[in-house]
Amino acid sequence: MLVGAARDAKPEPVLPSGRDCTVDPHPWGRSMPQPSRAPLALVVAPPRRGVTDAELALALAAGDDWAIAEAWQRFAPLVLSTAERTLGSKSDAEDLAQEVFLRLFRKIGTLRDPASLRSFVYSVAVRTLKSELRYRRLKAWLTFRGPESLPDSSHTSPNLEARDLLQRLYALLDRLSPRDRLVFTLRRAESMTVEEIAATMGISVSTVKRSLSHGTARVSHWIAGEPALAELLDRGLERKRE
Amino acid sequence: MRAPERAEARLAHLTEVWRDSVKPPHPAELERGLVGLRLRLSADAARPWFVRRMMPLAVAVVVALTLAPLLGSRFFPGSRRAAPVVVAHVVGGKILEAGYLAEVGGKGMELSFNEGSRFSLTPGTRGRLRTVSAEGVRLALDRGAASLRITPNHERHWSVEAGPFVVSVTGTDFTVKWDPASEELAVKLRQGRVAVSGPIVGDELVLRPGQNLTVNLTKRETVISEDGADPASAASAAEAAASAAAAPAMRVATSAAASAASAPSAAPGVRRWREALASGQWDRILADVERDGVEASLRTLSSDELFALADAARYRRRADLARSALLAQRERFPNSSRALDAVFLLGRVEELRADGKPRALQRYDEYLARAPNGTYAAEALGRRMILVKELEGPESARRIAVEYLRRFPHGSYAEAAHTLERAR
Repeated sequence: MLVGAARDAKPEPVLPSGRDCTVDPHPWGRSMPQPSRAPLALVVAPPRRGVTDAELALALAAGDDWAIAEAWQRFAPLVLSTAERTLGSKSDAEDLAQEVFLRLFRKIGTLRDPASLRSFVYSVAVRTLKSELRYRRLKAWLTFRGPESLPDSSHTSPNLEARDLLQRLYALLDRLSPRDRLVFTLRRAESMTVEEIAATMGISVSTVKRSLSHGTARVSHWIAGEPALAELLDRGLERKRE
Repeated sequence: MRAPERAEARLAHLTEVWRDSVKPPHPAELERGLVGLRLRLSADAARPWFVRRMMPLAVAVVVALTLAPLLGSRFFPGSRRAAPVVVAHVVGGKILEAGYLAEVGGKGMELSFNEGSRFSLTPGTRGRLRTVSAEGVRLALDRGAASLRITPNHERHWSVEAGPFVVSVTGTDFTVKWDPASEELAVKLRQGRVAVSGPIVGDELVLRPGQNLTVNLTKRETVISEDGADPASAASAAEAAASAAAAPAMRVATSAAASAASAPSAAPGVRRWREALASGQWDRILADVERDGVEASLRTLSSDELFALADAARYRRRADLARSALLAQRERFPNSSRALDAVFLLGRVEELRADGKPRALQRYDEYLARAPNGTYAAEALGRRMILVKELEGPESARRIAVEYLRRFPHGSYAEAAHTLERAR
């Protein structure tokens, strides 16, 4: 059953109990929740811990205003972390997370199993990340420019060595194709299994394996070809052994 | 160690550093993100449906038209045309990839936009232009101070993000300063109108010219002072802040002089609640009432206290309690100006309740009939327009939009009214 179909069938409203419901009884007939123009709801209602992912998915499809905040509070940390690890910038990750949720609200009607909302969010996030990486690559190619940016203040950690390592890592990742970079990030940094990556990215397991092997080999080769980076890593390894 | 093992060990170490580099988002960052998301949702909703439907096609056409000369420029660099930009001049620095502002020379930066707006960043200020588009500019201020002079244009939405705060701008002249170390935001408004959203200040705090806002997250303190008034006057500052907090998304109605005059006469309990309101300690007010009993409190609280209680309850989304406090205000103090204000605020509270929109519409109608030029007339008419659009459709809302633009051409809902008009 599509979540959007559930909306059309006007099911019993799945609402948490409590007096602070802010449900819009007149959804505009679209899958995206439509908040009022003003004011901005900054006084965040307490989390609705009793609401399951399935109930939240139905509420999003029904256009309930409270569901926007709840979905953001529940899933944004996951999306933000993955985006920041992939893009290397907190600020870019914030922009991307907002784009992910806009897409999520537009596409929520296509979710077949409301209980799998978390996987659906992650899948939308990964696809948005892939689009962003492709766009960056195309832009760099068209303008003859490599990414020239100030490191985010969030990455200016007191550990200079770690900061240096991260800058070099992102420079290497910029050389990978968007798909190889995403697979490499999801496997290495997010510790996802090959099967999970395949399901999230909508590609076959063998493609994921091939992409991972290709990405890993290239990054290892590039590290070996950069004596300064290799030395930094070897020094870190030695310290760990001590 | 063999080469493959060494390579894997290096990768494993690099991965460890990589994983540890990202910390979970701070609650304030999450709040700011939610504000940004709602702004983008509102902007999306404000666009007519055919614009949204046709957008992908339009984008494809624009991309095709843009790619042709760009591809040509790759192979024939001499023929490359300058891309259309909104930033016309940058003095004292440069704009890097992704909009980062890099100061050169340590004398601050000046940015001029082609439509006349200007940003001046003090030396050492660090920020980023997050978006520069036909719809406006979003400046993220990491630290430091920026003075902005924005050319009025109802079709553009400018904003400054500073820590967890968002300063929304129409046409105006103001300075915003953010110090991440002390977690303090300072906004000085010289001309026009800005709305500040974020923790402590509540939904949306609107400043008027001559007002200075300081919000300190660490101390949980909000102070509004006025040029010419004694900024050290704790009473007037607390009063102004309380008044501001009492009317989110509305104008701050209390003048410094009036505040100074009324503050000494306020009872200790009232003053304590005003301070609690101003510093965002809404739960303290609610706890006081629950301790004394809700029914008894509604019967005995003063007009000021009932208003403070209604605000605290609204901020905590306790719609029923806010409604009860406002109804008590109307019944017990029917001839006060606050009884009239309560009519408008009852509309806002009804909007928080399930199935409350038709009742909210009735409240706004009542307020506009009784106070067509009242303090909240613009907001009541704007909310009426939005609700009629939701309940009856854009056709019915259009005539309200026309009336709104005639009466309040630069009001908060002017953009939404223009959108409705254009969709005719």
